[in-house]
Amino acid sequence: MKRTGLQWLAISVLLISALSANADTRPQYGGTLHITTSMSTSSLDPAEMPDSVGARNLVALIFDTLVIVDATGRPQSALAESWQSVPGDRGVEFHLRRNVKFHDGNPLTTEIVVSSLRKANPAWNVTAAGDVVSIESAGAIPELLQELSLSRNAIAKRDATGNPSGTGPFHIVDWQPGKRLVAAANEDYWNGRPFVDEIDIDMGRTFRDQMNALESGRADLAEVAPEQMHRAVSQRYELLRSSPVELIALKFAKEAASAQEKASRDALRLSIERQSMHNVLLQGAGQPSASLLPTWMSGYGFVFSTEPDRLRAQQLRDQIPGVPSFTLGYDNNDPLARLLAERVALNAKETGLSVQLNASATELRLVRIPLASCDPWSSLLVLNNQLGLPPIEAKAHSLEQLFASEQSMLASGRIIPLFHLPLAYAAGTNLRDWTVMPGGKLNVTGAWLKSSQP
Amino acid sequence: MSFRRKLLLVFSVSVALSVAAVAWLVQEVTRKAFEETENQRTSQLVGQFQREFNRQGEEVTRRVENIAASETVNRMGAALNGTSADSAEYFDLARSLAESHQLDFLELLDSRGMIVSSAQWAAKFGYPEPAFQILSPSAQQPAFLKLEQLQDSTALGLFTVRTSAGREHPVYVVGGRRLDKTFLSTLNVAPEMRVLLYQNRGETFSADLLVNASATSGDARAAEKLAPLVDAVRRSNQEMSTPVRWSSDRADEEIFHAIPLRGLGENRPLLGILLIGQSRRNYVELSRRIKDAALLAGAGGIVLALFLSGWAAARVTRPIEQLAGAAQSVAAGSWDTRVQVNGHDEVSQLANSFNQMTTELLAQKERLVQAERVAAWRELARRLAHELKNPLFPLQLTVENLIRARTQSPEQFEEVFRESSQTLLSELANLKGIIGRFSEFSKMPQPQLQRVNVNQVLRGVVQLFQAQLNVPGKPAIECRSETDESLGTIAADPELLHRAISNLVLNAMDAMPQGGKLTLLSRREPQKVVIEVADTGTGLTPEECARIFTPYYTSKQHGSGLGLAIVQSVVSDHGGTITVRSQPGKGTAFVIELPERPELLAEIAESRAQHAGEPVRN
Repeated sequence: MKRTGLQWLAISVLLISALSANADTRPQYGGTLHITTSMSTSSLDPAEMPDSVGARNLVALIFDTLVIVDATGRPQSALAESWQSVPGDRGVEFHLRRNVKFHDGNPLTTEIVVSSLRKANPAWNVTAAGDVVSIESAGAIPELLQELSLSRNAIAKRDATGNPSGTGPFHIVDWQPGKRLVAAANEDYWNGRPFVDEIDIDMGRTFRDQMNALESGRADLAEVAPEQMHRAVSQRYELLRSSPVELIALKFAKEAASAQEKASRDALRLSIERQSMHNVLLQGAGQPSASLLPTWMSGYGFVFSTEPDRLRAQQLRDQIPGVPSFTLGYDNNDPLARLLAERVALNAKETGLSVQLNASATELRLVRIPLASCDPWSSLLVLNNQLGLPPIEAKAHSLEQLFASEQSMLASGRIIPLFHLPLAYAAGTNLRDWTVMPGGKLNVTGAWLKSSQP
Repeated sequence: MSFRRKLLLVFSVSVALSVAAVAWLVQEVTRKAFEETENQRTSQLVGQFQREFNRQGEEVTRRVENIAASETVNRMGAALNGTSADSAEYFDLARSLAESHQLDFLELLDSRGMIVSSAQWAAKFGYPEPAFQILSPSAQQPAFLKLEQLQDSTALGLFTVRTSAGREHPVYVVGGRRLDKTFLSTLNVAPEMRVLLYQNRGETFSADLLVNASATSGDARAAEKLAPLVDAVRRSNQEMSTPVRWSSDRADEEIFHAIPLRGLGENRPLLGILLIGQSRRNYVELSRRIKDAALLAGAGGIVLALFLSGWAAARVTRPIEQLAGAAQSVAAGSWDTRVQVNGHDEVSQLANSFNQMTTELLAQKERLVQAERVAAWRELARRLAHELKNPLFPLQLTVENLIRARTQSPEQFEEVFRESSQTLLSELANLKGIIGRFSEFSKMPQPQLQRVNVNQVLRGVVQLFQAQLNVPGKPAIECRSETDESLGTIAADPELLHRAISNLVLNAMDAMPQGGKLTLLSRREPQKVVIEVADTGTGLTPEECARIFTPYYTSKQHGSGLGLAIVQSVVSDHGGTITVRSQPGKGTAFVIELPERPELLAEIAESRAQHAGEPVRN
C-alpha cells in the first residue's frame, strides 16, 4: 500500500508537470499584440504603398495575395486555390478560393480580383471568366507567381471613396496615417481566426525607440537594427532574423556623363573598405557584398570582390584632373546610414577623392533596398526597374544569364553594393509562435500572447 | 589796416588758436586715456581667457583622468591587450563615455595610436590618430590646444591625454572640449567689447572659421574685414592690433587685438587666433563732442573776441586816435591843441607828453615870434637907419656946407644956399619917399573878395607892362602868356592880386637887364589854381631863395625888400601859398597856388544877389 501510494504520488507529480508544460506551449486566444516599426505610410492601399519589408508585413495583416511564397521560395495557394498555365504559355488561369469574404462582408469575386490586379499592373491583361481569373501578357510574364506574391498585388476591394478593404486575418479598427494602425482579428478569416484579438502597430519609430519600447513593455515585438542584434540577444529577447535581404548600396541618380566621371565612380568603388564597416558598424551582422543579390540567393555573390583596391583606385584618381568630388546623401533618420556614409567618405579621402555629406543630396545616396523577393530573378528585375536601367533581355532564366545580367547592371556604374543585411525582430517572452520568413516577412497570424496570469 | 582791426584780428586768432590748442590737448589726453583703458581691458580679458582656459583644461583633465581610470576603459585595455582584435564592441564606447562625462571630444586609442572609438567622428575607427606622436600622457601634461578634424569641419578644442593604468599596452584616452561660442560666452566681456576665435585652417581667410559668441546675421559678410589682420598674424605668428571699420561711420570702428594660439609640437603650430575687439564708438563720440564743443567755444570765443576787441580797441585806441587827431591839429597849426589825460598807463603818459610837447611848442613859438619880432624890429631899424642914413649924410654935408659958406665965403653963400636948398629939398623928398613906402607896407588892406578870372588879371598885368618890356635902347624882354582858358573864377581881390603879380613881373624885369623871356602861366589843379611867373634872368642862390620873402630883404642894389613880402602877404591873405624855384644864371620862377574856395564863391554870389535884389542862382 505504501508502495502503491508512492507510485500514485509520482504519477500525480508527472501529470501535473506535464499539464503545466502543456499550458506554456498551448496557444491562447486573446490579447493585444503591440508592434513597433520604423515603417511609416500614409496609405494602406497595397497598390500605392512603397515597397519595403515593413509595408509587406502591414499588407499581409489586412490583405491576401492570390499566392504566397514559402520559405523555400515555392508558390503556395492563398486566395487562389489552384492555377494552371494558359495554353500556349500566354499566361496563367487562377481558380479562386470559395467562401472568402472581405472585411466589409462582401464575398471575394473574380471581378474584384481583376480590378485589383489591373490597378496594380496596368500592363497586364487580366480577365475573369466564371470563377477563373486569367492573367495574360504580350510577352512572357517571368515568374508570374513570384510577382503575384508581392504585396502590391494583394487583392483589395475599393469603395467609392477609394478606401481599400481586404480579406486578411485582421481588419482595420483605427487608422492614423503614418502613425498608428489598430487592427482586430478577422473572425471569418478563411485560414482561421488569429489568436490575438487585436494588433496595435506604432509606426515611424527609430530602432532605439523600438528597443526602448520593448524594454519598457510598451511593445511585444520590435524591429532590431542589425548592429543591435547582439544587444537584443544579450538582453534575452527572442530574436529572429531573415536571410540577408536588404541591400545597402551607393546609388547614383544618373549614369556617368563622361569617362572621367566613370573613372571617379570606379575609384570610389575600389576605395571602400567594407570589412571594417561590417565588423564595427554592423557588429558583424549581414554580409559585405559587392553584388546586387546576396550569395544565399544567387549562389555566386562571392565572385564579386569586396576587398578595396586602393592602388587601382589611386591610379584611376590620378587620371582625373583636379579633385573628384561627390556629395553623398543618406537617410537622416538612419544612424547606421550616417555612419556608413561617413566611413565611405573617409575611405574615399584616403584615395584622394572628396566626398561631402549632405543628407538631402540626391545625385548620390546611400540607400537601403529591400530585395523584392526570395527569387533572384524577381529581385534583380525589380532592382533593375528601380535603378531605371534598360530592361533585361533574358531568353531563359538561367544562372549564367542571371550572373551576366547582374554584372551588366553593376557595370553601368549606377550602383555600388556595400552590404546585404538581414531583417531582425525581437520579441518579449510572452509572444509565442511568431516567425520570420527568409525574405524578412513577419508572420504573426499564428502568434499568441502568453497570459501573465497563472 | 587800422589798429582796431589789427587788434580784432589778434584777438580772434588768439582765441581760435587757444581753443584749438585746448581741444587738441583734451583730444590727446582723451585718446591716451582711452588707449590705456583699452590696453587694460585687453590685458584683463586675455588674463581672463587664460584663467578660463586653465580652469576648463583642469576640468577636462579631471574628466579624462576619470575615464582613463574607469573600469570600462581598463577592461577594454585588458581585452585589446595591444591588439586590435575584438575592438568592434568598443566602437560606440567613446560616445557614451563622452556623453556621461560631458566632453565634446573623446577618442580611445590603442597602444599603437589607432582609433578604437571616437565620439566626435565615429566612422574614424581603425584610423591612426594624426597627433599621436606628439601626445604625451604624462600626468603633468596640462591641457593643450588641438585642431580636431571632424567629418565635415574642424573644431578647436582644449584637450588632455591620459592612459589607462597598469597595463603594458595602455589605452590612450584623448578627451577635450570645444573652444566655441559656449567657451567664449563664459568670459565676462564688457559691453563694448567682444571676443572672437578664428580657427586657423586652410590657406586663406574664411569667415566660416570665425567663432563669434555674439554673432548676428550679416556678420559673416562683414567678418571678411578681419581677413587682413588674421592673415598678418598667420604670417608673423605674433600678437598685433589694428582698427577695423565696419562702415563709413567712423564710430563704427573696433580696435582688434589678435593673439596667436599655438598647439603642441616642435614648431608650435598656429591653431587659432583670439580676436579681442573693442568698439571705438564711445571714444569717437566723445571726440566728436569735444570737437563740437571746441567749435562752439571757438565760434563763441571769436564773437566774444569781437566784442572784447571792440571794447578794448575803443578803450586803447580812443586816446591814441585823440592823440593822432591832436597831432594832425598841431601839424595844421593849432599848436595849442591838448588831449585829455585819463589814467596812468602808457597811453596816458604819451598823452601827457603830447600836452607837454604842445605846451613847449607854444612857448617856443612865442619865444620865436618874440625873437622874430625883435629881429624884425632890428632889421626894420637897420633898414630905416640905412635908408635914412643915405639922405641924412647929404643933408648934413649940405647944412655944413651952408654954415661953412656963410662963415668963409659969404659972397658965395647965396649961390651955395640956392644949390644947398635944392639939395636939401631933394633929399627931404627922398626921405619922404622912404617914409611913404614904409607907410604903404604898413597899410596893406584886407582883400575884398569877389569872383575873379585869373586869366583876365594876368592879361591886365601883361598889358600894363607891355610898353616897358620893349623900351627902345634897352634889351627886349619877350613876354609869353600861357593861360588855361578852362579856368573858372576864384574868390579873390582883383586889385591885390594884380598888384602881387605886377610886383613879380617887376622883379622879373629887374632880373633880366640883358633881356630875356618872361612867362606868365596859369593852370588848374585839383581844388586850386596855379599862377606861375618865370623869367630867364640871373636867378637866385638857395640862400636867397630861403630869405627872399623876408620883409626888407632884397637881392637888388636899390630894392626896398618889401615887394615880395607884399606878394607873400597878398597870397597868404587869399589862403594860398607862394614858392620859388631858381637856379643861378638860368632864371627864377614864382609859383602861386590859390584855393578855388567854392563856398566863398557861393557866399559872394549870394551876397551880390542880395545886394542886387535878385534870386540866387546855382
